[in-house]
Amino acid sequence: MAFMKMNQLVLFGVLAASSPLAFAEEETVCFESREGSSEVKKTEIAEGLPNVKCSPRAGGVLWWGDPFDGTEPMGEMKIEADYSKGEAVVKPRAPQLGFLPVCGVACHNGTFPVKNDDPNPRKLVMHGDVVPDASDLQHGRGGIWCLDCHHSDTRNKLVDNFGNEVSFDEPQKLCGKCHGPIYRDWRDGIHGKRIGEWASTGKKRWWVCTECHNPHDVQQGARNSGYAQLRPERAPILPKGIYNKDHEGHQAAH
Amino acid sequence: MPEEKIPVVDITGDPASAGNPIQQWNPVGTEDQAPASESRRGFLKKGAGLSAASLVGTAALVTGSDDAKANTSWAEHFQGAYRLMTDEEKQESISRLEQRYSKEYGKNVTVDGTDAQEGVLFGYALNIQKCIGCRRCVKACVQENNQTRGDEQEIEWIRVLKMEKGEFTQEKLNDGYPGDYGIQVGGNAYSAAGVVLEGEHYYEPEKVPEADSHYMPIACMQCEKPPCVKVCPVRTTYREPDGPVVVDYNWCIGCRMCIGACPYWARRFNWGEPKLPKEEMNPKTHYLGNRPRMKGVVEKCTFCIQRIRHGRYPACVEVCPVGARKFGNLLDPDSEVRRVLDRKRVFRLKAEVNTYPKFFYFTD
Repeated sequence: MAFMKMNQLVLFGVLAASSPLAFAEEETVCFESREGSSEVKKTEIAEGLPNVKCSPRAGGVLWWGDPFDGTEPMGEMKIEADYSKGEAVVKPRAPQLGFLPVCGVACHNGTFPVKNDDPNPRKLVMHGDVVPDASDLQHGRGGIWCLDCHHSDTRNKLVDNFGNEVSFDEPQKLCGKCHGPIYRDWRDGIHGKRIGEWASTGKKRWWVCTECHNPHDVQQGARNSGYAQLRPERAPILPKGIYNKDHEGHQAAH
Repeated sequence: MPEEKIPVVDITGDPASAGNPIQQWNPVGTEDQAPASESRRGFLKKGAGLSAASLVGTAALVTGSDDAKANTSWAEHFQGAYRLMTDEEKQESISRLEQRYSKEYGKNVTVDGTDAQEGVLFGYALNIQKCIGCRRCVKACVQENNQTRGDEQEIEWIRVLKMEKGEFTQEKLNDGYPGDYGIQVGGNAYSAAGVVLEGEHYYEPEKVPEADSHYMPIACMQCEKPPCVKVCPVRTTYREPDGPVVVDYNWCIGCRMCIGACPYWARRFNWGEPKLPKEEMNPKTHYLGNRPRMKGVVEKCTFCIQRIRHGRYPACVEVCPVGARKFGNLLDPDSEVRRVLDRKRVFRLKAEVNTYPKFFYFTD
């Protein structure tokens, strides 16, 4: 279902009915790494060259026409690593987070809701879609709670160890607080994903933490893995004359 | 040329074939030998003339034709081995192919001949702990490398093996041994049948990864001492200076010795006429890589030679949603691959067969 957004199709339908300039072209949307939170719309960036090719079956990106499409330079980091040799770009996270533009002003405007200093996990009134059971957050095994990561006053920002604001585009500065060895591997390019040029001095698009991991559900229940399950691509077809994958019990007579 | 029909021995003794030179030759020798041998020599001469004339004629015919395939197939068929060509011959061969492919696929197809760069040796590392078995690399590879597809024949260079998470217990100790399952064709102590190694690659669950499995993608290991290269009788497959083992498809005779020699099940054979839909064809190709193949030749992973020779990561590296695939220059201590080798626990598949793969598996 991630492949085509139904609501957009409906919207297109309404437009088509009401406007004489009807265009009923289907919009193809597929996801990069994290289903529902790293989506990309298929467009043409040059004559006959799409920005991405999407998998018709599993809805994932299968191919990048331009690995740097929609990216911007990555912010500075305090510790020197790979990015200081080559060119590092990232894709901003904000467009993937629906409420981000309004959450710092519409609801969390500084006076409302009233600040609660109780540090104990409790049932949340809102945000049930993000954290279904707030008293059992699937991250940190009971050791952390909302405001360990989210800024207590400025809700459209995250927070680092010193109480400084961290942009949603740079979650690594927050995640690295606890996940030190992973952070180090990520900086050196051996954890996480990069696309672009292979040379250590080349230009690369880096994937940031939340492009692959859902921080509210990293434990993934019983599977206890940081990456969510997803639909696999189709299995290869069996060779001619083979009727089951065990290569036993052929239907054809020998 | 009705009078220059190719002579066929007519064993029926039909008087209509009396003019046949072979029939005229009488081995019993009751008649005068001279005219018989003369006519035989004449036949050989005629035949030689005929075949030369027919070749020239064919060449003249095809160059006048509009059929993209016919236009070039004659020259293509008689070209030498790519490695032995001069630069001009290579360029000629490349532009021939570009012309043919562009007509065939209705778009501007480029065939690249870029050579290896000095000081580069390509290496690959795969985090076997991170792989979730989603097969996106497999399909991305097909998108990039113009493999044949369809119901008849589907070629995929990467194979993702599903392995059981092992555990040895007293109760399960005798499971899976001959007896209940007949002759073993793979598998392990608990499951009767695997296809390659101890895994199987036809798994089809709703979601991956499954809790009780881990996954191991295999493809060409780009060996430093490749057994496939050793066995090739026509030396059409060879190791490039920057590492990848490639195939010169035009020189391949389709004997499939390399497929038998490869310990990693990495090579594929085009049993039928390859099917590649025009709209899905990737027009950026390399002579030794993803240019469209023909029936009867072997193909394999080249680390996406058409991409890496121009600085870009291979398609499978880019598409892996969990970032399990790492690629770079083994001679550069700052490359991602070298960092993996420095820091992680690494193994090579079937290291004991001394193929020295440049493909490394690692765990965190």
